[in-house]
Amino acid sequence: MISRVIGTVTPVLLAMLGVMIANLPVSVLGGIVPPPLLGLMPVYFWCLVRPDLMPPFWAFVVGLLEDILSGGPPGVWTLAFITTYALVDRQRDAFAGLSGLGALLGFAVAATIACATAYGVEALYYWRIPPLAPVMGELAMSVFFYLPAAMFLVSVHRRLVGPLRSDF
Amino acid sequence: MANGTFRNTRSRGGYQLPLTVLFVLAVAIVLIGKAQSTLFDRARADVTDWMAPGLQIVHRPFDWVSGSWHNVSEGYGVYEENVRLKEENARLRQWQTAAIMLQSQVKRYQSLLHAVPDPSLSSVLAHVIGRAKRPFLETMILDAGKANTVKPGQAVIDARGMIGRIFLAGNHTSWVILLTDLNSRIPVTIEPEHSPALLAGDNQKAPMLETLAQGAKVKPGDQVVSSGDGGILPPGIPIGTVIADGAGYRVALLSDPATSQEVAVVDFKNPVEAPPVPTARDLPVTAAGLPPAAPPPAVTTTPPPPAPAAVVPKSVAPAPKKDIAPKPAATAKPAAAPDATSPPGDDPVEDQ
Repeated sequence: MISRVIGTVTPVLLAMLGVMIANLPVSVLGGIVPPPLLGLMPVYFWCLVRPDLMPPFWAFVVGLLEDILSGGPPGVWTLAFITTYALVDRQRDAFAGLSGLGALLGFAVAATIACATAYGVEALYYWRIPPLAPVMGELAMSVFFYLPAAMFLVSVHRRLVGPLRSDF
Repeated sequence: MANGTFRNTRSRGGYQLPLTVLFVLAVAIVLIGKAQSTLFDRARADVTDWMAPGLQIVHRPFDWVSGSWHNVSEGYGVYEENVRLKEENARLRQWQTAAIMLQSQVKRYQSLLHAVPDPSLSSVLAHVIGRAKRPFLETMILDAGKANTVKPGQAVIDARGMIGRIFLAGNHTSWVILLTDLNSRIPVTIEPEHSPALLAGDNQKAPMLETLAQGAKVKPGDQVVSSGDGGILPPGIPIGTVIADGAGYRVALLSDPATSQEVAVVDFKNPVEAPPVPTARDLPVTAAGLPPAAPPPAVTTTPPPPAPAAVVPKSVAPAPKKDIAPKPAATAKPAAAPDATSPPGDDPVEDQ
């Protein structure tokens, strides 16, 4: 019973933990390297693997937490996470069938949607074109870190939630 | 790293309705946030206050790594930099002497002209306990908050110049919006032409100069200081030097937010300008030798006064009759009056 509860809450807790770590106000390498979207990785992963453990409501909450902790305008990342979730949800079969480098590419597409949405909302919010380089940097870092993050998420899923389809 | 679906508990697209509702809700949050940008400020301030003790411990190794990286990246040109700094130092020493002389001269002129004194400035020293560089926000977190009289809008400076301003103050921590941040816009003055402009951040190292006045003569190397327009920031805080950027101009900042450890939060109190107390000589009718005007009608609505002389202030009432004929004694007396109202220490002789 306890292990079932742990398995149920783990995806959301990991997403929230990812948001908190990514938004720790510590400057790594003098701020040259932007933090990756650690909160989006569990949302994307469990949206494909076990959407019942990561329903849209929790994607909304994780996005809201990202907004609160990042210090930016309210709602930007909430909207970005929900938009990404909606598009991934519509193309689940295509995304879920990817493996290896294809899975990395799948996440790159999802992260691009999230960053593009945030960029667009930000541009509308301030009615000016924000510089593209910082967003591209965040996107690149997110894709780069998805590889180790996905390995960690797979390991957690197997231990706490259950086996993956590829395990059979 | 397989993304296989072990147990797909629902059909694809089964979340259409919740997603639509949440999408609308997210758009509503953006719109409400646009109307009231402080929507999440309380939550942010509480979270930062809660995290402050941990941040103070965590930020040290990160800052050490960050500082080391900074030193390594700047270490290659250290010899040339040293030569340049020595030359600059010699030049600045000459300027320092000139500045001291000019400062005493200005002070003397101010006292001679009875100029309005500069606004009082006090500051709170704070330590940087966090830095964050996100795509849409560049910020710094300080270990001073409302408990230390830190308020949103106050300027944050380091030993070299202005870094930014407070935009969110918790009880024991505060967030600084850097001058380079996308959301930062402050009124500045470009010296020596004294041209007004707006300094706008765009997440690049050198913020842009915007809204230059028509005919403003700006050239690279001009100094940029805060203008104090709007009464929020104190005037004259050094910010940086103008550099050319294509058709426009940017400002190379004097401060370096990436390495600043201790900063000062400047509390700027714009003095309330009180009009001088009028003397009998300042009233036009009195100066013209006429009796003062009758009291306003509002006084007559109350029970009638026993005599007009009782309504008129005593210091003004006897003056007209005495001053009808210009007498040396009468002119000498009002001349002494402003001295009584002028602030202490305005004696020009004392300053010279």
